[in-house]
Amino acid sequence: MEEKIYELLSEEFPEIDFKESDTLVDDGILDSLTITGIIATLTMEFGITIPYEEIIEDNFNSIAGLAKMVEKLSS
Amino acid sequence: MTFISAEFYILLLVVVIAYFAMPLKYRWMVLLLGSLAFYIFQGIEMLPMLLGAAIVGWLCGLGIGRVYGDEGVGAQEAKKKAKLVSGIGVVILIAVLALVKCTRYMPENIAARIIVPLGISYYTFSIISYLIDIYRRKYKPEANALKFLLFVAFFPKILQGPIARYDKLANQLYEGHRFDYQRMCFGLQIFLWGLIKKLVIADRLAIFTGEVFGDIPRMSGSMLLVAAIFATVELYCDFSGCMDMASGVSQIFGIELEQNFRRPFFSKSAAEFWRRWHITLGVWFKDYVYMPVVTSPRMAKVLQWAKKHFGARVGKSLMAAIPLAIVWILTGVWHGTGKAYVVWGVYWGAMIIASQIWAPEIKKINQFLHINTEAESFQIFRMVRTFGLFCIGRIITIPNNLHMTLQIFRKIAFEFHPWELVDDTIYTYGLDWKDFSLLMCMFVLLWAVSMLQEKGGLRTRIAGYNLGFRWAIYYIAIIALIVFGIYGPGYDASNFVYMGF
Repeated sequence: MEEKIYELLSEEFPEIDFKESDTLVDDGILDSLTITGIIATLTMEFGITIPYEEIIEDNFNSIAGLAKMVEKLSS
Repeated sequence: MTFISAEFYILLLVVVIAYFAMPLKYRWMVLLLGSLAFYIFQGIEMLPMLLGAAIVGWLCGLGIGRVYGDEGVGAQEAKKKAKLVSGIGVVILIAVLALVKCTRYMPENIAARIIVPLGISYYTFSIISYLIDIYRRKYKPEANALKFLLFVAFFPKILQGPIARYDKLANQLYEGHRFDYQRMCFGLQIFLWGLIKKLVIADRLAIFTGEVFGDIPRMSGSMLLVAAIFATVELYCDFSGCMDMASGVSQIFGIELEQNFRRPFFSKSAAEFWRRWHITLGVWFKDYVYMPVVTSPRMAKVLQWAKKHFGARVGKSLMAAIPLAIVWILTGVWHGTGKAYVVWGVYWGAMIIASQIWAPEIKKINQFLHINTEAESFQIFRMVRTFGLFCIGRIITIPNNLHMTLQIFRKIAFEFHPWELVDDTIYTYGLDWKDFSLLMCMFVLLWAVSMLQEKGGLRTRIAGYNLGFRWAIYYIAIIALIVFGIYGPGYDASNFVYMGF
């Protein structure tokens, strides 16, 4: 799952190196518009709804966090 | 009473002395009494509406807390009940705000009887955020009604914000702070800088912009263009000056308000500009409108439907467009209920949405034209472009009449007389050459201070200077303020622009 999400997001946001940091939000690499783009990509790819409660730094700080969130919402 | 009236300084002195004379535990009460006195000075007839809003927020907050604390109710049921209680509170607050904002659409005899409390937009948004945060279980409700009233009415932020968030401000208000000389100096420094921005720059520019925009049909395009640029700097100095003063007053008590401006004219895009201008309003809309729309199940369905029928690109475009369109229409309405403000909201929204949707195409065009987007010259171009976009936005709202707005654009395009910029015409609208020379010096100072702030540590740098040099700076600033400040009849400077919201 992590690899798939990494490929998807790297294609969508080529200017961001998602493996560069595991504090993507804290470091200011992801702003709210980019997070919106990530939500759109994951929603359409995996057919999930990402609720407001899941928009937390832990979930968006790294690819691992995103993968964990997608797995939880897909089950 | 505003930050630039004599009564305010007397009240502030009394509150500061009383605050530090009181035992730590009771200091918040001094702030509450000071805040109520400050608001009563604005007009006692506005007080009941402020108290009413605070009571609604406090009661609904307690109601949500009680629902969540009831162990006999299941989690889902509790959430549903909490949503209902917070919803009731939000609807009441919004209804009152809408009522006082829409007086222009009411018959005159009814509108004349409606009291518009100062700062209603700011305190209403603060209370709404409090209720939604409690519903989201971000923190527990405040049990003490008087403490909650202090959070709502704290005097440095009540008239123009920043829009306070309970989790960031409340504890600072309730815990007593000891006197700190350096903190007080920092507070007075920023207060003084805010006063200079307001009295020396904004109010001086207001003389010219008032003259020019007061008689648009007779003005040439060149004067209207200069006035639009001046009106942009005027608004920045007026609003950010007030925020500096609010921040300075709070710091004297050891309370840090949230930052509302971060050098917006250094922004390189419209989206960045709105992350630096009126920050607390932007963050409020992001947290309570934008993100809830982005994460709503309905939005997810729209995306999946769009992807299925039109492809992923359309889905992503909708995700960029729908939430931003909603936010920008509401931002426009927040600023004013006339058509001009709706157009203004659509103008900014469309620009930011377009820059999101067509980002790949814009990148390709830049590559095709061999534009080095990393070059410093290109960065400066982007800053100038963003400033220009803001000037256009000002032209939309200043006349509050779309017909006049179109007339301004037409005149700038077809009645531009460049010679008026070098002959003495420009000196016939309230400001002479001495005023213009002073303004040019102040623009340079504003730019220099902003650059130093951007790099960080301006205030600690000043604090690090020798005592004599430091006080020389303060004296020069105070004398400049007294000599160059614009004071109206009775030494009463004009009100702040954003006080009407």
